Amino acid sequence: MVAALTRRFGDLDIAEEAAAEAFATAVERWPADGVPPSPGAWLTTTASRKAIDRIRRESKRDDKYAEAQMLHGNIPPEPPGAIDDDRLRLIFTCCHPALAVEARVALTLRMVGGLTVPEIARAFLVAESAMGQRITRAKAKIKAAGVPYRVPSAEDLPARVAGVLTVLFLVFNEGYLATGPDTDPVRHDLTAEAIRLTRLVCALLPEDGEVAGLLALMLLIEARRPARVSASGELVALGEQDRGAWDTALVAEGHQLVRELLAAAAAGAAPGRYQILAAINAVHTSARDMRDTDWSQVLALYDQLVRLDPSPVIALNRAIALAELDGPEVALATVDRLADTLAGYHAYHATRADLLRRLGRSQESRAAYDKAIELAGNTAETASLTRRRDQLG
Amino acid sequence: MQYLFSVIHDQADLATPDEHAAIDVFNDRLRAEGHWVFAGGLTFPEAATVIDNRGEETLVTDGPFLESKEYLAGFWVIEAPDLDVALKLASAGSKACNRKIEVRPFR
Repeated sequence: MVAALTRRFGDLDIAEEAAAEAFATAVERWPADGVPPSPGAWLTTTASRKAIDRIRRESKRDDKYAEAQMLHGNIPPEPPGAIDDDRLRLIFTCCHPALAVEARVALTLRMVGGLTVPEIARAFLVAESAMGQRITRAKAKIKAAGVPYRVPSAEDLPARVAGVLTVLFLVFNEGYLATGPDTDPVRHDLTAEAIRLTRLVCALLPEDGEVAGLLALMLLIEARRPARVSASGELVALGEQDRGAWDTALVAEGHQLVRELLAAAAAGAAPGRYQILAAINAVHTSARDMRDTDWSQVLALYDQLVRLDPSPVIALNRAIALAELDGPEVALATVDRLADTLAGYHAYHATRADLLRRLGRSQESRAAYDKAIELAGNTAETASLTRRRDQLG
Repeated sequence: MQYLFSVIHDQADLATPDEHAAIDVFNDRLRAEGHWVFAGGLTFPEAATVIDNRGEETLVTDGPFLESKEYLAGFWVIEAPDLDVALKLASAGSKACNRKIEVRPFR
């Protein structure tokens, strides 16, 4: 409804406020008056009236013409395609590249996800006033700079979709990192919200492999959540997880999506990074046990991914797969080459520590674990790293 | 909507002949497509003078208003229906003059 109002009135602020007021009125009146026969239409009509009232209050002499245009337009009854178009337009607007990434995330959660400002603030550990300002400024920029409210043209679509997926994956990761029994439950809800929004974008852009890839990736990661944190609050590595605790429904859905993507890739569609990451996760979640993992397939997928994205973190993860096939010595050689770029990344040192341990180089392994623990800070990972270091003897 | 494209530079050199040629092509395109309002290259920042007459006396200061490595080297004023169009034009402009461009809407 917010999307349709934004289309009609061309203003995110007015649309949002009018929608909120219409809902508030419904909450007040419907228990006494009864639910109207067509609640959606009632809400839209009520919200439109409130938006018109606000525009009238705010309009200046030279805006009279623009006001007249807005007042005399109608919101036609929405055929299914039109609602989808409105929601797509809203998503692309909230994720516009002219906005800073953190502003895009906040605006998307507020306008598309419907989360309240306090909820978003708590989720990202930011003061409520600061989050409110971030959203207000983003809306002000959209208005002042003339960010258009539309779905990007075909030639711009791939880059703009990538921008939307970045926002959605950021929301997911923020929820994913929120582990431990004391975490604010709102943060757990972020992964669910990210998945919900990605499902929406998937339904709106069914032909886009990267969107489906991101959804599959999220589902396969989320499927493992029940096994990821031990009772004592320690992060459990993939190799040690109780695979029986994985959510079989999410795994099945993720696998189905990956199968479809592989079929499309076989027909010539070049897979993007989310699709490849999803496929890697599918290989892992297909194995009954860590030992049963098809590592050569994992490595082949990482080789594909590295060609698309030469980032050192991907190279690091590839090295872990390499160790399973060619042994820890070969893998350590490739990992050591990443020293300059990843010196500040705890997972780099944790990986080195594990490889050194397997090579029997205990003292160096201990030093690497110490570095990893120092950099990991106060997370559920620290306990797991500490235990491994202490097991070195 | 009108937008100001501010050309940002951080070295003393002016546009090379190749850059001049590319800028000319870009300007022709702006005119042909109806985006051109005004444009100009500015002299080096040391040629600027700041006037402050907010108080009782007029203060005259030699040099640009901001002491910084980056400075304003030139600008375009263009007409565009929305930010997406403006950003696409600025992208072409940045490539043509080989500098960073700040895109800022007029009120």
